[in-house]
Amino acid sequence: MNTFMDTLSKKIMPFANKLGQNRYLTVLRDAFMLSFPLTMFGSIIVVITNLPFFNDATKTTLTQLLGNGQNATMSIMTVFVTFGIGYYLSNSYDVDGIFGGAVAFASFLILTPFMMTTDKGVAVSGVLSLDRLGAKGMFIGMIAAFIATEIYCRITKKGWQIKMPDGVPPAVAKSFAALIPSILTLTIFLAVQAAVTGLFHVNLHDVIYEIIQKPLVGLGGSLPATLIALFFVQLLWFFGLHGQIIVNSVMDPIWNTLMLENLEAYKAGHALPHIVTKPFMETFTVGLGGSGMTLAVVLLMAFVMKKKQYRDVGRLALAPAVFNVNEPVIFGFPIVLNATIFIPWLIAPLIVTAINYTVMAIGLVPAPTGVSVPWTVPIFFSGMLATNSVLGGILQLVDVVLVGLIWFPFIKLLDRQKDPLAN
Amino acid sequence: MAEKTIMLCCAAGMSTSLLVSKMQKAAEAQNLDVEIFATGASDADNQLEAKKIDCVLLGPQVRFMEGQFKEKLAPKGIGVEVIDMKAYGMMDGETVLKQALTLIG
Repeated sequence: MNTFMDTLSKKIMPFANKLGQNRYLTVLRDAFMLSFPLTMFGSIIVVITNLPFFNDATKTTLTQLLGNGQNATMSIMTVFVTFGIGYYLSNSYDVDGIFGGAVAFASFLILTPFMMTTDKGVAVSGVLSLDRLGAKGMFIGMIAAFIATEIYCRITKKGWQIKMPDGVPPAVAKSFAALIPSILTLTIFLAVQAAVTGLFHVNLHDVIYEIIQKPLVGLGGSLPATLIALFFVQLLWFFGLHGQIIVNSVMDPIWNTLMLENLEAYKAGHALPHIVTKPFMETFTVGLGGSGMTLAVVLLMAFVMKKKQYRDVGRLALAPAVFNVNEPVIFGFPIVLNATIFIPWLIAPLIVTAINYTVMAIGLVPAPTGVSVPWTVPIFFSGMLATNSVLGGILQLVDVVLVGLIWFPFIKLLDRQKDPLAN
Repeated sequence: MAEKTIMLCCAAGMSTSLLVSKMQKAAEAQNLDVEIFATGASDADNQLEAKKIDCVLLGPQVRFMEGQFKEKLAPKGIGVEVIDMKAYGMMDGETVLKQALTLIG
C-alpha cells in the first residue's frame, strides 16, 4: 500500500504544484475574488426579495424597489471579472494594473454588440443587452481580457511608450505612458470586431457562446464531470494539498457561469436550468463540515470513538467544523496519508453527491437557486439559504448521516488498532 | 511596535486564524513581544508591502506556494517555511511559535 501511495504522490505533487502556481489560474482566481463581495451583496438582496413567507405581491414590490441590488452586481459579474483579469494579470507582469484593467474591459466591450433585438423583432441601437455583461458574456469576457492584457503588457514591456519629462505629475505621466500600448491593443480588437461583423455577419459574443461556453458549461455541469472534479479534490487533500483551491482554479469559471445562469432564470421566474452550480458545490460538499463532508467524521471522533487521542482531536475540531473549517481534522486525525480511511474519504462525497444530484433531478428537493452563500455558514442554514427551502437544510442533515454510516466501519477499525501513533 | 512580526498564510485565512490565537497565548506565557496574524493567499502580497514582516509560515495545504514565496522573500532575508502537519492539525501554538522563532533566528 505504501509504495502505491509513494508513486501516486510523486506523480500528483508536481502536477498540483504547477496548477497552484500557474499565473493565469491565479489571476483568474483573484479576479473572481474581486467580484465576491459584490455577488455576496446581490445574493442577500435576492434572498430578501424571495423569502418564502412573503406573498407574491410583496415579492414583486420588493423586487421593483431592491432589484438593482442584483442588477448592479451579479447580473453584470463579467464586468468585474474582465476588469479584475486585466488588473491582476498586469500586476503579475509588474505593469500598472489599473490601466491594464481598463484596457481589458474596453477590449471586451469592443467585441460586444451595442444593439439588441426586442421580442417583436425591433432592432434598438445604443443599448447593451444586460445578459451580455453577465452569464452569457463570461467566457468571451475572460478570453478577451486575457488576450488584451497580454498584448498590452507585452507592448508596455517593449518600451514603446511616450515618456514625459520629470516635472509632469505621476498620474499624468502614467496616463501618457499607457497611451500607445492601449491604442495598439484596442486597435487590434477593433479590427477583429470589424472583420467578424463586416465579413462574416456574426459577432464574437454569440460565436464563443455557442462554440465554447455552452458545450464546456454543459459538460461541466453534468454529474460525471462533477464527480471527477470531486474525486480530484479528495485525492489532493489526501496528500495534504488544498484540493479546493487547485480544482476551483480550473472549474470556477464553469461553476460560476452555471450559477449566474440559474440566478437569472430564478429572477425571471423561469425553471432553473442547472443543478450543479458553484453554490451547489460549496453548500452540499464543503458546507457539510468542510471538504469531504467531515462534520460526520468529527462527530464520530468526538462522541463515538473510544481512544482518547481521537476524542480529543474530535472535540478540538468540533467548533471549527460547525463553520466548515476542517483543517484540524484533516491534519489532526490525520486524514492526510492515512491509508485506513482512504476509501471512505474518497467515496463518501462521491456517493452523497450522486444522491443529492438525483434527489434534485427528480424534484424532491429544489436545486440551489444560484444565490451565493459563504461556505462558512453553518450546516442546515446554508442549505436553506441556497435552495430557498427548508428541504435544502434537511437534505444536508440526511447527507451527514449518510457520511457517518459510510465512515463507521473504518472508524471502528481505527479504534481497534493497537497503537494509532505507529501509523 | 512588536519586536517580531510573524505572518501565517493559508487559503482564506480561516484555519490559520485559529492557530494565531493559540500562538499568541503561547507567546504571552513566555513573555515574548510578537505580533502574529493570519492572511489569505490573495492578500499576502498586500500585507508584505504594508508591514515589516520577519517570517512567513504557510499552512501545509498551500505548500505549493512555498516556491513563489521563497523567490520573492529570499532576497529580502525573510524566511518562509511550511508549518509542520501534525502541529497544524492539533493547533499546537507552542510548537509553531518555536518554528517561527527558529526561522527568524
